[in-house]
Amino acid sequence: MKKRFLATLMIVAMSASMLAGCGSSNDAATDNAAATDDAAATDDAAATDDAEATDDAAAEGEQKLTVWCWDPSFNIYAMETAAEYYKKDHPNVTVEVVETPWDDIQPLITNAASTGEYSQLPDILLMQDNAFQKNAISYPDLFVDLTDSGIDFSQFAAGKLGYSTVGGRNYGVPFDNGAVIACYRTDILEQAGYTIDDLTDITWSRFEEISSDVQAKTGYYLLSERTGEIDLIMMMLQSAGASMFDENGAAVIADNAALKNVVETFNSLVDNNALLLTQQNWDEYIKSFNSGSAAGVINGCWIMGSIQAAEDQAGKWAITNMPKLDGIDGATNYSNNGGSSWAVTTNCKNVELATDFLNSTFCGSVDFYAEILPSSGAIATWAPAAEADVYGEPSEFFSGDAVFKKVVDFSTKTPSNNTGVYYYEARNAVATAITNIQNGGNIDDELANAQATVEAQMQ
Amino acid sequence: MEKAKARKLSQSKRYNLTGWVFLTPAALLIAVFSFYPMIKCFIYSFQKGSTFANMQWYGINNYIRMFQDKVFMKSLGNTFIYFLIQVPIMLILALILASMLNNKDLKFKGFFRTAIFLPCATTLVSYAIIFRSLFSTDGFVNTILMKLGILDAPFAFLTNTTGARAVIILALVWRWTGYNMVFYLSGLQNIEYSVYEAAKIDGASPLQSFFHITVPLLKPTILLTAIMSTNGTLQLFDESVNLTNGGPANSSITMSHYIYDTTFKYVPNFGYSCAMSILILILVGTLAFIQMKVGDKRD
Amino acid sequence: MISLPKKIAQYAFLIIFSLFSIFPLIWMAIAATNQSIDVIRGKMIPGTYLIENYKALIAQSDLWHAMGNSFKYSIVVTLLSLIVCSLAGYGFEIYHDKFKDGLMSVILLAMMVPFVATMIPLFGMMAKMGFLNTVAGFVLPSISTPFLIMLFRQSARSFPHDIIEAARIDGLGEFQIFVRMFFPTMRSTYAAAMTITFMNAWNNYLWPKVIMNKPETQTMPMLVSNLTAGYVTDYGMLMLAVLFCTLPTVIIFFCLQKSFAEGITGAVK
Repeated sequence: MKKRFLATLMIVAMSASMLAGCGSSNDAATDNAAATDDAAATDDAAATDDAEATDDAAAEGEQKLTVWCWDPSFNIYAMETAAEYYKKDHPNVTVEVVETPWDDIQPLITNAASTGEYSQLPDILLMQDNAFQKNAISYPDLFVDLTDSGIDFSQFAAGKLGYSTVGGRNYGVPFDNGAVIACYRTDILEQAGYTIDDLTDITWSRFEEISSDVQAKTGYYLLSERTGEIDLIMMMLQSAGASMFDENGAAVIADNAALKNVVETFNSLVDNNALLLTQQNWDEYIKSFNSGSAAGVINGCWIMGSIQAAEDQAGKWAITNMPKLDGIDGATNYSNNGGSSWAVTTNCKNVELATDFLNSTFCGSVDFYAEILPSSGAIATWAPAAEADVYGEPSEFFSGDAVFKKVVDFSTKTPSNNTGVYYYEARNAVATAITNIQNGGNIDDELANAQATVEAQMQ
Repeated sequence: MEKAKARKLSQSKRYNLTGWVFLTPAALLIAVFSFYPMIKCFIYSFQKGSTFANMQWYGINNYIRMFQDKVFMKSLGNTFIYFLIQVPIMLILALILASMLNNKDLKFKGFFRTAIFLPCATTLVSYAIIFRSLFSTDGFVNTILMKLGILDAPFAFLTNTTGARAVIILALVWRWTGYNMVFYLSGLQNIEYSVYEAAKIDGASPLQSFFHITVPLLKPTILLTAIMSTNGTLQLFDESVNLTNGGPANSSITMSHYIYDTTFKYVPNFGYSCAMSILILILVGTLAFIQMKVGDKRD
Repeated sequence: MISLPKKIAQYAFLIIFSLFSIFPLIWMAIAATNQSIDVIRGKMIPGTYLIENYKALIAQSDLWHAMGNSFKYSIVVTLLSLIVCSLAGYGFEIYHDKFKDGLMSVILLAMMVPFVATMIPLFGMMAKMGFLNTVAGFVLPSISTPFLIMLFRQSARSFPHDIIEAARIDGLGEFQIFVRMFFPTMRSTYAAAMTITFMNAWNNYLWPKVIMNKPETQTMPMLVSNLTAGYVTDYGMLMLAVLFCTLPTVIIFFCLQKSFAEGITGAVK
């Protein structure tokens, strides 16, 4: 027993010393490398070594951009492809992508901005649209103003561009599309005697009739949502061009006719078996339509990837627009959920290079967007991209429909939404209100409570 | 005689000094890397602003706000429910398991020990997915309960206040019992096995030797685990975020979860986060102080 | 003698508890052999997708590099922690007086503020000290923990004082007593502390990320977390990665468990 313990200890100690040895020699090696070929690591060098190395490197023409984003099959792939495109004309420029989940990007930004120590930030980072206003306004020194950088922002859909625009200035280059699509299982619809056309350009009250009917006949719901999450409610709200905040940034949660209508519609869907409530976790939500009792999904177009994971359901899904609210001015069948934009940080030592890179790829190359579309499903928000032929190609999975063209079309019709700075606070307060209303609370009282909660947080 | 006394005195002085030498590296590291940020945090708790550069004096307003903040008060209540129910169950269970596994005649001890330790080594990502799918409406637990005739219809564990809290407590017990057991097992090695045998010869039942030998001799370790579990539960974060996301309607959110939200998710208000953190410090500190008073006596 | 029914009850309890504990690992292992969609659908039997999952994982991430990093950092932290904290725990207990007991209570305070609140000031301090992007910046804050210090302090309480006296008479210095007497006697405590410290260091996530967010310093928990960040998660591949992330701690525990649970008492007597 004793021997075994000592043996283990010895092994650990030995491997530690070996590793420590390796470690230091490795470090030395990387240091050398950094001094010679890799010296172009602009921010690297600035963070650790003296600035001279950077200048030397710049003279040699080697340049590097560091980027933070988080999805290998989606935005990382897009960024790496963009880098390849750019390298063709600028062989001296390399792009290093550091895979960083969104849940980490926010703490890292907060650390940097709170302490004023920006040196660790990358040149470019991907920002969730819903958090853009909050970060740009709370940390005015964080992002580079791109308004006069030569990028033609008019080529992006107005609804999308709004997220990254603060006080009329552009701080972000819109990237992926969050246009809302409604997807339904055509085989289930057929069983109940409906077609996809019956669900196109309809109102929520019509949807409720059909969905309850389908549920009664087949046991399948045409829609699911996570308990306590309000993605759907936010989508419904935006579809009527309404927000939780007014232009001055004041919260409008109580006395908001559109929001009240949305909440009533939502509750009516639940009460009439037209909407399935799953657990609050994402995997349970996915499961509901991959294998559970949901035969329909309404969400941002990026949800297509998760639907397509169920390969055995190929050809059984079809895409159309979402239902619209009844009796509300400005109600449409279009909305947005999710999506993100690229931002250039103030730690970027070569803003010209960064903007030129973005300008010639994400806002300048139809071919680039055409290349990333098929394997990533990253649908552009840059209008000219939709001209590419691939956008018109039919999707086998979605019943031979030209889905990408459809999504781009939807996104141009989407009303814009004012997330405000306090978006996440308001979301949480409204979600709490919805749960309380479902448990028998009075709708006006609960929304008034939510309003009070948010106002208290805005102090 | 006098000389001897003097020598003894200087010797005890020397030992005292040696003691300080032994603990200085650790104390210094803690002072620099824990206390310095803590003091900063304490100062910020009286300030307001989005970045350190523009922090302004805010008096005790952060503290006043805290007690008027319904979500935070709810999280405080939730955290105490977890603390009061989970910590005693877990520690008692760990103690029972450790004394069972300390039995020399038991077979497959290695397997049992490793199996029971396993949950705390399991990465959070996977165990959250597993627990959520086990307790979903069409999950394993509902299926079993319905087959046994205990339930007529599936129970929505995670979307119901009591259910969500129960699942969190269960998950905590599952994850940390083996962890605490490790310390009890290692503590038990310092008790001579012959003490138990002597007790047996004297006619003591296993239960009696548990209460009269095991518990008193493990007292220092029990104190340690009690303080650590109190601290861990009052700072509970992972389970609230990953199992229930604080829901439904904040009914299972914990204090640390809310502090995380106010720091990173909401509009940055670091002063307020600090004030709430200082409250946690005061709460855990008080509880630990009581536990030390009761348990940290040298016989 | 324990009666037979009692014995059966004891085994039954242990078996049920073990199965309850081990179930998720089995589930994880099964999930790692299945396609993502089957994991979502709750398939509970082993599949044939293990090799595909492995290939996908290797293609998407630098698994063995992350594994190497995790081992390197965890071992460094564990060794330094054990040395620093066991010295301190010994110092606190063997030479205890009013001041040292008081200091122990103060040190305990260091763990009572949520890390979220101390992280940002700590980051600012590290930046000023020039520790950003260095291994030192990553390792230093996790070496000395109130938990380990107190663990050794509490364990030292059962270390017989007459051994120390005897050793002093034999002419051993205080540090020699620590190395030659305390260290071997407290093997079980060291083994338990080593397991737990290694596990904590292995699972440490946010701080390493804050100090150096670079591909070449990626650790296993970062790798796992990256896999869940996208719009679409491949659950089969994720579970395989999680399995790789869990096994080292389990193996270390399995190797050490005899040391801390069946230590030969009275080895020094």
